[in-house]
Amino acid sequence: MIRFMNVHKWFKDLHVLNDVSLNVAAGEVVVVCGPSGSGKSTLIRTVNQLESINSGEIWVDGKNVVDPKTDLNALRAEVGFVFQHFNLYPHLSVLDNITLSPLMVKKMERAAAEKLALQLLERVGLAHKKDAFPAQLSGGQQQRVAIARGLAMQPQVMLFDEPTSALDPEMIGEVLRVMKDLAESGMTMMVVTHEMGFAREVADRVVFVDHGQIIEEAQPEEFFMNPQHDRAKQFLRQLLTPMQ
Amino acid sequence: MNYNWDWNVFFKSTGIGTEIYLDWFISGLGWTIAVALAGWIIALILGSVLGVMRTLPNKTASGIATAYVELFRNVPLLVQLFVWYFLVPDLLPERAQIWFKQDLSPATSAYLSVVVCLGLFTAARVCEQVRTGVQALPKGQNYAAMAMGFQQAQIYRYVLLPQAFRIIIPPLTSEFLNIFKNSSVASLIGLMELLAQTKQTAEFSANLFEAFTLATVIYFVLNMSLMKFMGWVETRLRVPGMMGGAK
Repeated sequence: MIRFMNVHKWFKDLHVLNDVSLNVAAGEVVVVCGPSGSGKSTLIRTVNQLESINSGEIWVDGKNVVDPKTDLNALRAEVGFVFQHFNLYPHLSVLDNITLSPLMVKKMERAAAEKLALQLLERVGLAHKKDAFPAQLSGGQQQRVAIARGLAMQPQVMLFDEPTSALDPEMIGEVLRVMKDLAESGMTMMVVTHEMGFAREVADRVVFVDHGQIIEEAQPEEFFMNPQHDRAKQFLRQLLTPMQ
Repeated sequence: MNYNWDWNVFFKSTGIGTEIYLDWFISGLGWTIAVALAGWIIALILGSVLGVMRTLPNKTASGIATAYVELFRNVPLLVQLFVWYFLVPDLLPERAQIWFKQDLSPATSAYLSVVVCLGLFTAARVCEQVRTGVQALPKGQNYAAMAMGFQQAQIYRYVLLPQAFRIIIPPLTSEFLNIFKNSSVASLIGLMELLAQTKQTAEFSANLFEAFTLATVIYFVLNMSLMKFMGWVETRLRVPGMMGGAK
């Protein structure tokens, strides 16, 4: 479903993505982790070209996203993206946030778009908040609305860029539960996160990124029990026992 | 000061037909409003387009808008008015020149000049406000809209501009008031708006102080009302849960 082939990207002299190759199969859930500044957020943002790349190829659902002939807007409509800071549209109600792109990009009829939005709100447990505005919701609620907004385009793939990093601890669970539910429904997901509990329980594969390179790729059990590289070992140690 | 105030002057005959001085003020106020509103429509539309252009990644588009702003902000308003009224008509094709100078009444040609002048001058200022409004939005708004597959025009129409305009209502209100105040330059090319009628009243009646007092009061009340109106607009557009608009 997603295929990175020898992807390179530089920010001036900084080699943020260094020869990244990775496959994400349909229905698979891949967690990307690594120290901050390792390039993991950049990596996930290249999938729908919120970040461009300097060389290599990225294929999504059979289309090469870096080919200038590819209709990028059509492709982006098939890829849901959930941001660290939610990025809901503050001037629109919850319902309008969700229906905006089905109405404007897919040209769906309003009644159908609203029905779909209500189903999705039901699914993330926020149907009663449909008329609220983003500023009236908690962080966890905003992020669940953002997930519903991403799903409203009925995407092939959902990308999550640190979806719980900006949340208070007591709100992380409600967002992860929605994501787990989504994974179980068979959605293809690529998730940048530090939530190792989620990775262990939900991911099919864990990818460890450091200095712009994928240096470890394994099933969660394998990755957590028996990491191969020193940097991965160190990362896990810091994450699991931060005080030592 | 030894001055005989006579507030009844406004109800006295001007000596022209059956008009009293108050009629002159009412007519002048009408022209002032007509100039300012027409100029404001031009300023708002053109200024918004230019403001959006300045925020586009396209260097040509933003360059053109930047050059426009520099030109219109750095030349005095009065100079611009004289250019539009005295010079530009001479540069027009011959038929248009005849139309402007002979077919149109003097009031109409002065009106057109001052509306174009104020509209284009104020557009440069509106442009800067729209630009700052768009740039003040978190980058994530743009990314979120891009990620949904919106085209650039849709991003501006549905995501960026509705938020930007809410943010800039207060400075936009100042510009709206300014265009009413700036419309008084029209008196210098013979358009009988409020200031011109005031001067004429002062000369005809010799009641200088009364005339300018009334003009001051009219400008003040007019602008206060506009300010209240814009405050009402701002409240109506306020997004629930947010103080004073978008963050």
